[in-house]
Amino acid sequence: MRKDIYEKMQILADSAKYDVSCSSSGSDNNHKTGELGATHNSGICHTFTADGRCVSLLKVLLTNFCIYDCAYCINKKSNNIKRAAFSPRELADITINFYKRNYIEGLFLSSGIIQSEDNTMNMILRTLKILRHEYRFNGYIHVKLIPGSDEKLIEQVVALANRVSSNIELPSDNSLKLLAPNKTKQKVLQPLKHAREKSLEKDTKPIGMSTQLIVGATPESDKDILKLSSVLYDKALLKRVYYSAYIPVNDDKNLPAIINKPPLLREHRLYQADWLLRFYDFSYDEIVSDEFPNLDEEVDPKTSWALLNLQYFPMEINKASKDELLRIPGIGVRGVFKILKARRFKSLDFDDLKKLKISLKRAKYFITCKGKYHSKTPFYKEDIKQAIIAPPKKKIIQPSLFDINYSHITGEL
Amino acid sequence: MILVYDKTFEGFLTLVYDVYYEKLQPKKILTKFPNTLLLEDILEIKTDEEKSLKVLEAMKKKFPKKCFELILNIFMCDTKEFELNLLRYIILGFRDSNELFNINQKEVFFLQNLEKELFRHVHKMTGFARFEELKDGTLYAKIETKFNIVYFLGKHFFKRLNNQNYIIHDINRKLAFIKNSDFLGVQSIASFEEPKLSQNEQKFKKLWTTFFEAVAIQTRENKKCQQNFVPLLYRIYMTEFL
Repeated sequence: MRKDIYEKMQILADSAKYDVSCSSSGSDNNHKTGELGATHNSGICHTFTADGRCVSLLKVLLTNFCIYDCAYCINKKSNNIKRAAFSPRELADITINFYKRNYIEGLFLSSGIIQSEDNTMNMILRTLKILRHEYRFNGYIHVKLIPGSDEKLIEQVVALANRVSSNIELPSDNSLKLLAPNKTKQKVLQPLKHAREKSLEKDTKPIGMSTQLIVGATPESDKDILKLSSVLYDKALLKRVYYSAYIPVNDDKNLPAIINKPPLLREHRLYQADWLLRFYDFSYDEIVSDEFPNLDEEVDPKTSWALLNLQYFPMEINKASKDELLRIPGIGVRGVFKILKARRFKSLDFDDLKKLKISLKRAKYFITCKGKYHSKTPFYKEDIKQAIIAPPKKKIIQPSLFDINYSHITGEL
Repeated sequence: MILVYDKTFEGFLTLVYDVYYEKLQPKKILTKFPNTLLLEDILEIKTDEEKSLKVLEAMKKKFPKKCFELILNIFMCDTKEFELNLLRYIILGFRDSNELFNINQKEVFFLQNLEKELFRHVHKMTGFARFEELKDGTLYAKIETKFNIVYFLGKHFFKRLNNQNYIIHDINRKLAFIKNSDFLGVQSIASFEEPKLSQNEQKFKKLWTTFFEAVAIQTRENKKCQQNFVPLLYRIYMTEFL
């Protein structure tokens, strides 16, 4: 039976939703007179779903038919689910019409493997050609490369897309073998390497690439994961690694036993740690070590690092360098810029920081202003940590209670 | 002393002129005469083109470009009381233009933050504005916004919808940014008739809503988080929330 377009949309959006990447940032402005669409460097969120995630791209699968049988994937071959496929033209038309109404920034196109890797990559390429050549569309397009497809096809896709990615899915080859028998890390990284080489031949700036890792389906520690991300960033292979808390969608003997809740806090801490790698000049082994291979769930990774390295603190706000300021828990990049700007005109005290609306909730334990330390908490790791996790409540003396206690001692009534 | 001006940019510049040369000490700046009787002196500023041009030229000459633009941008934040801060900022700049970058000065900090708030608002609306396709293919968006931002939005969409005609209509301020073959810019809209939509409009609205609902992950539902990102205020014309 032919499915109508709404049903197709329902099925193919539903099957793409576990892909985390949705960002459309990092592309230079590229509009052309008389054409449609432009990208925006910071990316623009167009709406937010009921789970609170940003939607900036039409994120769908071209098809959820698949010849693979990966254990964690909802679209695996052996699953008995509704299947559908868009034609390249259908999908291009929807993209253009959504774009004109300002629903989206562009397209995020992924796909199950239909018939063969090459066939799938070809259909994706056709969609891109209609969008770029026929509709003169300059908006954002992110394509999930199909591992194992012909390098010539990958080259053509790379030439038309703003960003490409290929999901590593699991942090080690062993885990891949267990859960995704058709994939190896080598096979997944291959198209990324090729894409980078090809885009570098044309331009000095390689095409933006990203990947995704599933967290909590296999036994790797945060250290294994952050080490992997850090290597990928250092080799400039990737611009962004996404982490996705494992959500059970299938029953499989190799998957972890039923967990009640996806490890969302762990995912959150990994993103925070990832941020430290990319924007705060931390190395992964400062954040996790053999002794503590997993991130502390009680406090964020920056605070956790500071607590283990109290010898650098408290830092004098008026003297610390930019790099040092960036290491103060609770103070972010914007806060650092505010401090640097304000410092040029005067020496700052605690009230000045408050006036600049710099959050001191955590920072106050780690700084001095003009030599003064403002927190009353003793300067020890455990005390500070306790104060951050559960700030002491203000004691309110209730006179009546006090009186009773007092009378107890004195014997007066 | 309370000053009253007519809410126009020229009126405000005249006010700056009078305060500066007559050494006035305003405690409040209003745009309408107060209804209640107050003990303070009230002085009405009469908009004067000559005075306002003088102030404008002096600012252009003396102020760094960034600060001059900030002054123009602040005027778009028309629902906020910015006048007293802006007045002090301009006078500060005439005394020493370096001080315009000193964020320890409370008016500098206030105005820089207000400008940021303006641009944050513009940025949100670049994502949350929704166009509908009219019978003749023109794209039409209705907006109701905190600040006066049609100009900024118009400029933004000029890059994206370069081969399209479009209208961004600020319902409350009765303004619209219009782009068609004869006109490009902001116009005031006295009255308007609800326009006729194209044949395809319903189909794409329904497709969009279908997509929007399908991408949410039920096991991670978090309506509070969603509402932090898209406050109800912004949802008035957003197709997926209708």
